Amino acid sequence: MKSTRVAMIVVAAVVLGIGASTAAGSTRSAKRVTISVASLIPGSTQAAINQFNAQVKEFERKNPTIKVKPVEYQWTAPTFAAKLAAGTLPTVFEVPFTDARTLGDNGQLANLTPYFKRLPYHKKYNKAVIAEGTDAKGQIIALPKGAYAQALHYNRALFKQAGLNPNKPPTTWGQIRKDARIITQKTGKPGYVEMAKNDNTAGWILTTLVYSLGGRMEKGIGTHAKATLNNRYTIQALNMLKAMRWTDNSMGSNFDLGWSDINQAFAAGQIGMYISGSDVYTNLVQAYNVNPSIYGLTTIPLAKNKKAGVLGGGTLAAVRPKVNKAQLAAAMKWISFFYEQPLVSKKQAIRNAKTLVANHQPVGVPALPLFNKKQYNLANHWIKRYINVPLGHMRPFLNGIFKQKLIPEPEASTQSVYNALNAVVEAVLTNQNTNVVQMLQQANAQAQAAIKQGS
Amino acid sequence: MTTVDQPREPALPSERGLSRSYARPRRTPLNWVRGGGLAAFLFLLPLFFVFGAFSWYPIVRTAIMSFQHTNFVQAPTWVGFQNFAAVWHDPQFPIAVKNTAYFALLALLFGYPIPLVAAVLMSEVRKRRGFYSVLAFLPVVIPPVVGVLLWKTFYDASSQGVFNTVLHWVGLGPYPWLQSQQWAMPSLVLYSTWANAGATMIIYLAALIGVNPELYEAASVDGAGLVRKVWHITLPQIRAVLLVTMILQIIGTAQVFLEPYLFTDGGPVHATLTVMLLIYNYAFGNSLGGDYGKATALSLMLAGFLIVFSLVYLRATRSWSTR
Amino acid sequence: MSKPDSGGGLISEIDWRKPSTRWGMRTLHALLLVGLVVIGLGPILWLAKSAITPTIDTISHPMALFPHGAAWSNLSQAWSGVQVGRYFWNTVVIAFGSWAVQIVVATTGGFALSVLRPRYAPIIKGLLLATLFIPAIVLLVPLYIEVVRLPIVHKSLIDSYWALWLPYGASAFNVILVTRFFDNLPREIFEAAEIDGAGPFQLFRRIVLPMSKPILGVVSVFAVLASWKDFLWPFLVLTNPNVQPLSVRLPSIELQTSLGVFLAAMFIACLVPIGGFLIFQRSFLGGTGLGGAIKG
Repeated sequence: MKSTRVAMIVVAAVVLGIGASTAAGSTRSAKRVTISVASLIPGSTQAAINQFNAQVKEFERKNPTIKVKPVEYQWTAPTFAAKLAAGTLPTVFEVPFTDARTLGDNGQLANLTPYFKRLPYHKKYNKAVIAEGTDAKGQIIALPKGAYAQALHYNRALFKQAGLNPNKPPTTWGQIRKDARIITQKTGKPGYVEMAKNDNTAGWILTTLVYSLGGRMEKGIGTHAKATLNNRYTIQALNMLKAMRWTDNSMGSNFDLGWSDINQAFAAGQIGMYISGSDVYTNLVQAYNVNPSIYGLTTIPLAKNKKAGVLGGGTLAAVRPKVNKAQLAAAMKWISFFYEQPLVSKKQAIRNAKTLVANHQPVGVPALPLFNKKQYNLANHWIKRYINVPLGHMRPFLNGIFKQKLIPEPEASTQSVYNALNAVVEAVLTNQNTNVVQMLQQANAQAQAAIKQGS
Repeated sequence: MTTVDQPREPALPSERGLSRSYARPRRTPLNWVRGGGLAAFLFLLPLFFVFGAFSWYPIVRTAIMSFQHTNFVQAPTWVGFQNFAAVWHDPQFPIAVKNTAYFALLALLFGYPIPLVAAVLMSEVRKRRGFYSVLAFLPVVIPPVVGVLLWKTFYDASSQGVFNTVLHWVGLGPYPWLQSQQWAMPSLVLYSTWANAGATMIIYLAALIGVNPELYEAASVDGAGLVRKVWHITLPQIRAVLLVTMILQIIGTAQVFLEPYLFTDGGPVHATLTVMLLIYNYAFGNSLGGDYGKATALSLMLAGFLIVFSLVYLRATRSWSTR
Repeated sequence: MSKPDSGGGLISEIDWRKPSTRWGMRTLHALLLVGLVVIGLGPILWLAKSAITPTIDTISHPMALFPHGAAWSNLSQAWSGVQVGRYFWNTVVIAFGSWAVQIVVATTGGFALSVLRPRYAPIIKGLLLATLFIPAIVLLVPLYIEVVRLPIVHKSLIDSYWALWLPYGASAFNVILVTRFFDNLPREIFEAAEIDGAGPFQLFRRIVLPMSKPILGVVSVFAVLASWKDFLWPFLVLTNPNVQPLSVRLPSIELQTSLGVFLAAMFIACLVPIGGFLIFQRSFLGGTGLGGAIKG
């Protein structure tokens, strides 16, 4: 009895010791600075993890006084809020365009301006893009790490199987509807699937559709903006979805797919077409080992309307506010090395591409320029011979995207606007008799209330 | 359940100094220690610390925070009843209340009688009753997260979903399950019944076995059939257990969170939004920071309702259970 | 009290001898058994089968039995890739810690309230009873904020297991259960020990604790089960994936893992609870378990 009790105490002590050390924080010695950085989304493949670690080693080699700790990270609304409240975000983390400015205005991001000005390429940034990382006082509170435009992803194999030409993807919404119907009939797989999850991806994609028809969700900026969710283009988009869902039955039977679910389903060959950011190919490879031969990328068709455009967004890298000077300097060095250098330094771009290729990670996924067009073309030229993504399959997108007008996401209370739209999308897809006009009115009121509150 | 002791002879010498029927010595610190006060205090320290810090203090803070506006950047400000009013006027509030009531009602309809019937049958099993118990209790030991995710796979709405495939064998379906506003909540209740009925069954079984068989014999002699025996003997005898499980089930289902959160995230179109999920959304749903005032206000409202309900229930059933 | 193997008495011996009753009950029992197997065992068997079935087969023919052979790699991938083992260990550590804290709090508190009986004991008991009535949601938000930033010390318990162990320890149910059990212990033994010169600490260690095995068994079962099943609280306070238990980890990797591997991971996650249950059946189902606790 006694020995087991002693044994239990020993085990408890060991366990408590483990528990205590997991709660331990950041910096150790005075000379070395330790920062934690957002690495990959949870569940990434070992190859992706190896590639990231290789980058970390390279950085630490160049900066021997800095120690970098990778932390798995994925931005989703609830987990980000929790981490923000708890202060458990890594030193360097990522936020979408939609949230950065509000966070900055609330003092929840570190001021990067002095370090920013010291970057040799700081003048080359695309004005619209760097504006997303600038707060109301004109301070730089985050640096852009990637910008995307919404695009139409399609499964070339399913196109072939349905008798459609994979090199001629649909260029109008009418064609999308027709192709979706044919795919469903000939292959049994849903021809067009749309995100309809409650985590705001439903509202995000609906907004994309509305932009492509010529509508807008807001007028004006800040807390005085007017919500225009129930404009006629939204009604048009929802009726389009209604027709595809109930008349053509080409949207499948599961409607709670979010950003990750839809990528997973697509990679498993379950989806004909879907809309998401132009950069999701990276995720398709890193998380789901997608077969490159099935992947096709084209632009979202725009209506013949002056205001029609494609929704653009992006992600920024930010730093936690309560870090000391040494950590802030180290964090900026990391941001520059990991996110920005591959786009502005030939040596870095090539080294980065080499590491990615060595670990079977995609190089050359179409991205939108963070810097001016000249820099963008130059950067692509540097890594030309390392590109291992099926660029040919992405030709329709690359050819068309620069002719499309890029529209930023609704500026005021973006996530709340999307949140208000979630229910409308879900309703249209799950209930044939949804009163679209009434639901949009409610959504509009909800969004307006949030905008007024600044949340 | 007695909370205050009946007066009795002080058993321990240490108690005599504290009993009412003896003259009390002067209460100095030394006498207190000698009287065993220090020992009692020391033994209560873990309880004081754990409850004080992690139970009583948070409860008090909920009450305070429901009258404040809190964010982590500035100090909290007092806003009176604003949070309660905001919750009351939130269009999602009546939806959440209705859904929670709907879930509790459905869960009661399915999860209450079925285990009882099964338990009655099981109590009459003559051999290997334990085997039945193990089978019934098996779903209860499955971690709820595993259970929910497993059933989420079952509920796939395509014709190749597990349930739809099985139902197809008998010519039924395919059904939308979680993808339909009408089917979503019943689907959740179906899972919840599967996961929890086993525990209730075991409790009923234990109570049923405790019924004095002489009562049945007497009834048989009087010519009572099976149904009359159950209605007039079994049910009244296990009255107390029936009442306790009912109130526990109601209180439990009123706080349902995991199923709506993992299965449908409150959807589709708020069809599975429960009060608990709404509280969660208030506090943790906004990526820019939560509205803790509304969250605590709604928590208080739900807690208040459950407390009042419990008291009314106890009052109403006291007469029935002590007859 | 009727004997376990002779039926509950609802149907008298005379009735049992009637062939119609006997066969009627036998049919009902058979139906019940089939029902329990399909409903209770069915989903778990499906999980076991699908854990070693290739994803494609599970998606297209979920009820088929290995149309293209088994995929044992699912299990190995779940173990090494998804690292089910590590999250399982986390679950164990959390369960152990919360069990320990709950036992300490319940036994010391129960002993003080029941045996030592200080003057303020009724107040404490009243507070505990009140706590029992207050639903757990009331605690959630302020407890979270408190854990994020402890008052006075201003440290964060986020990602520390203490954020789980300590709040779990505040179980009024446990304390009341143990207090009542101690109340029912014969007082003569305490008096005898006191006469022998035992002080409160020795009384606790040498007399009360050894006599408490039954109730500690009940408390332990509840404690371990409750901590194993909990989702929301560990989900909120453990943000670092490396310290998360299975219940928190599984949903977050659901979307990054292929279905077959994911089902394999879930199956592995079930093995210990099911195994533990089968081994310790008595504690769960027997007289000292749920049934006994409720009767009291």
